[in-house]
Formats: sequence, structure tokens, C-alpha cells
Amino acid sequence: MFKEVRHLSSRSCMGRAGRAGAGRFGDVRVTTRHNPPPLLSTDDASRGIGGFAMGSSVPSLFLDPQIRDWVLFPITLVMILVGILRHYVVVLLQSPPKKLTRAAIREQRALVRSNVLRATSSNSPIPFSFYQSISQNLSKAFEAGTYLKDGPPKEGETPTPPNPLSDPAAMDGMMAGMKTQMVMMVPQMIIMGWINFFFEGFVLIKLPFPLTLGFKSMLQRGIQTPDMDVRWVSSLSWYFLNFFGLNGLYRIILGGDEAADAAQNLAASPFAMATPQAGQPQDFNKLLKAERDHLEFAEGLHKWIGDDIETRVLKKYGRL
Amino acid sequence: MAMDLPSALHRLAHYRTHNTRASRQIFEAGAVVFRNDALGKLGDDNWQFFETLALAAVDVGRPDITEECLRHLSAQFPDSPRVQCLEGILKEATESAEVALRYYQALLDADPSNVAAWKRQISVLRRLGRTESAVEELSKFADTFYTDVEAWLELADLYASRNQYTSALQSLSHVLVLAPQNPFYVLQAAETAFTAEDVPLALRFFLMVIDMTDDAETDTPTPAGITVRAWYGVELAAARLEAEPRLGSQSPSNTRSPEHLSKLRKLAQDMIQAAGKSAQGAEAEASSAWLRR
Repeated sequence: MFKEVRHLSSRSCMGRAGRAGAGRFGDVRVTTRHNPPPLLSTDDASRGIGGFAMGSSVPSLFLDPQIRDWVLFPITLVMILVGILRHYVVVLLQSPPKKLTRAAIREQRALVRSNVLRATSSNSPIPFSFYQSISQNLSKAFEAGTYLKDGPPKEGETPTPPNPLSDPAAMDGMMAGMKTQMVMMVPQMIIMGWINFFFEGFVLIKLPFPLTLGFKSMLQRGIQTPDMDVRWVSSLSWYFLNFFGLNGLYRIILGGDEAADAAQNLAASPFAMATPQAGQPQDFNKLLKAERDHLEFAEGLHKWIGDDIETRVLKKYGRL
Repeated sequence: MAMDLPSALHRLAHYRTHNTRASRQIFEAGAVVFRNDALGKLGDDNWQFFETLALAAVDVGRPDITEECLRHLSAQFPDSPRVQCLEGILKEATESAEVALRYYQALLDADPSNVAAWKRQISVLRRLGRTESAVEELSKFADTFYTDVEAWLELADLYASRNQYTSALQSLSHVLVLAPQNPFYVLQAAETAFTAEDVPLALRFFLMVIDMTDDAETDTPTPAGITVRAWYGVELAAARLEAEPRLGSQSPSNTRSPEHLSKLRKLAQDMIQAAGKSAQGAEAEASSAWLRR
């Protein structure tokens, strides 16, 4: 039995282990040192070709504890340390936020201004005449483009959407974003390469949940065993598990807002590369024009608190 | 006043968190700290301590202490806008206003969005009496930093000091939009409207203050604080509207005159009397005398 198991699993790792000799962590060694429980369950139906449980829940492979000591923990430790290192590199790489001119500040806050006004419209503290004058002024200014940082568009010139390549401020924003991306991606590549090179050819862990056969090619890369349960996965999949799972740990160690959140970055990166960063080269012209419709709508909703306040107060004091 | 070190430290911490401007107490507490050589005890707060002490020393009339604090601060934080603002304040106190204005202008040329320097420049302009430039700068400031309520309040105050009450009311309307839950601002708007002869608007604003400040109980006991002032305002406005009905239809802001004026007036008088009764001595006399006017 021992021999059979050995034969089946060593076919995959023979290449690596054979080349590199003893001492590499490339072997699945089924050890007999600790009087292991029988490899097969006592259920007759599950007796099969050495070591594979057919439909029973008893673990069919017993892995060398050295695998745990020398592969599982090191991968996790390395990923944690690299994550912390990445965080500090990003913090160091960040340049201080650049100063904005007065016009640029005004442009950024123009939307806020209109939002603040609209928020109060249904229970407004000011009478309609005041509200209307503020709202109309804002609306006219948005239409004319007085709030844009380069001033209202000249006569006859069609306003062009801001081009990130020509606007130096936006360019800086994009460069900063790209730098962060590089810092994230490079260590990931290195670690993946390291794992693929050193820790290939054996299963590392057993997933606690079942999976379909489709996952076999991805999770058991490098182990050509057509019958092994998909729940046994290689070290590369342990890497992926860590990749997505260590964010919580980073949050605890590095305290909240940290730059090592790789999964978030991965998800955000396709968008971040395509569209400009942080709304800076946002086309304020279009945004402000769209805001005018909202302003008009809010104007229609306007109700002043003071409209029937005398009846309310009199009723409250029982005089009415 | 004799003060020992722990109470001095305690006071300073209290002033720091509440941002109070109790300059003489801060100055004396600071003197105690220095006498006992206890700067180390403040730990990381010692820079804020220097800043507060610098401002307090200017208020109390000891610019030498301010200079000393500034030396420590600029050694620790070179090129900090906060420290530069403090230096500007020291210049305002010791040298002529033009020197200070030039200094602030230099700061603003270097960095046009330096909020602290801009605010100081506006306050110096106001102090000099150059209200047109002050109004112009402050309007630009409030336009850029729309959400700064203090800026709009200051603008309203500036307009009111020049009797431009409609512009003051417009600034106050921005204040109200930005901070709709604050009854003090509504009271200010009410009193400005009354001074501007827009009595229906004033009456409604006074009623809004009352609605905001008294709590749910309907048989309210005596009104207190700002509510009393609002009731005085209601009484005055209602009396005025009863005496001059044409005011009710001529409101510059097209505000309808409230109904049930006599009931409102009676209610206001009762409330003022209740407040007067709870007050002591001269205040009670004054309120009942006023009611009989």
C-alpha cells in the first residue's frame, strides 16, 4: 500500500526532486513514523486504488508535518511581511497633495454648494424669494461657466473636455496612481514566481468545502493525478487564499486606511487605469450643467418652515 | 491669583479642548508652567501650548512672550502656515497695520489658497476701516470657501454695520442654508429683518426661533435664554404690524403677514411676564414696565 501511494504521487514530483536532490520540499512523503490511522476507511466500498477515498469523508491522504512547517507557515509569513513592506513603500512614495489655486478650489466646491442648497429645500429655513434668488444665481453661473477654473468659455470656442495628458495636475495624479500600481504588482509577481518554482508538485492543504472538477486544473497545477479529490490543493492556491484573506490582518496591524489592500487594488485597477483619478479631470462643465436640472427640481419642492408657523406655535401653546 | 501646577495644566487642557479665549487665565497658567519648568509634562501638547500662549500674550499686551513662543515654534516647524499666521498677528500687534498687510499680501502671493492669511488680511482691513476692500475680499473668500459659516456671518455683520440690510439678509440666508439647526442665526436674521423694516419676515423668523428652542411640553413653564429674546421680538413685531397694517402688505421679501396677530401678541406678553417673574429684582421690574409701555 505504501509503495502504491508512493508510486502514484512521486510521478509528478520526480522531475523536480530528482533534479534538485534531497532536501527540497518537493516530495509528498507519506510517513509511517507516527502509526498513522489506516489510509483507507474500513468501509469496503471505499477501498480503492491506494489512498483515494471514494465518496467517504475520512481523510485519505496523510501529509508530512514538515510540509506544514516548511511551506504553509513560510508562505503566510512572507506574504504578511511583504504586505507590510508594500504599505510603507507606498506611504513613502506618496508626494504631498499639491496646492490648488483659488479658482480650482472654487470649481471643486461648486457642486457641494448646489448640493447644500438643494438639501434644505423641502424644509427650508429661508423664504421662497431668498431661496429663488440664490438658486437662480447659481443656475445662471453654471450655465455661463463662471465657476470653471479657467473661466467661462470664450465666444465661439467649443468647450473641450479636459485632456489628462495636457493638464499637468491630472498627469501628476495619474503618475501617482500608476506608481502605486507598480508597487503592488511587482511583489505579487515575485512571490508567485517563487512559489511556482519552489513549492510545486505537491498538495499542501485540504479545503474544507467541496468543489467541482473544473477547479482541478487551476488548484492542482503541476500534479497529474486525475482521480484525486479536488479538495486537495497545491501551494499556489494557498497563495491565492492568503492574497485575498490577509486584508483583515493588514487592517489590524497597520490600522485602518492602509495601502496594502491588494484585492481592493486589483479590483479597482482596471477602472483606475482607464478613467482619470479622483475626479480631478472631471468634466465640470458637463456636471454643472446637469446640476441645473436638479436645482430647478429642488426649487419646485421648496417649502418654507415659516409659512404657517403662527398657527403651529399658537396651537402648541393652546391658544388656537 | 495663585495657582499650582496641576490646576494650571488642567485649565490649559480645558481651554485647549474648548478653544476658549480666556487670555488672562491662559497667560497666568502659562507663567506657572514656566516657573515650575514643567514644559516636559505637556508632552506632545507643548506646541499647541506655545500657540495658545502666544495668542494670549498678544491679547494681554506682552508681545515679548509672543516672540519667545514664536521662536520655539518656528524652530520646530519651519515654513508652517500656522506659524506664519502667528507671526502676522504679532506684527499686527506691534507694528503698523500697513506692515502687517504687506506681510499677508506676500504670504498670499506665495500661496493664494492660504486660508489663515486671507482671513487675517480681511480682519486687518476691517479694523482699518477700509470696509469696501474688506467686503470685496470677504465676498471673494465666501465665494471660494462656500461652506465657511463664519465668513458669511462676518459678511452679514459688515453689511449691517454699513446699514446695507438687504445684503446682510442675503448673507444670512446663506448662513441659514448652511446651518439650518442653529437658532442663534435665525434670531440674527430676525433682528436684521426687523431693522430693515421687513416686519412680517421678522415676525416669522422670531416664531421660527421659538419653535426651535422650546421643547415639546405644551404648557411650557417659563421660557429661558434666547427664547425670551424671541418672545420680545414677537411682541414688538406683532405690535408694529397691528399699529401699521400697511407694513404687512409691503414686505420687501413678499412675505405674507401672519394671522391671529392679537393672539400672538397676547401669548408673547404672557410668556414675557412668566420669564420676568422668574427673574430677580430689577429684571422683573423692567420687563413688566416695558409691557405696559
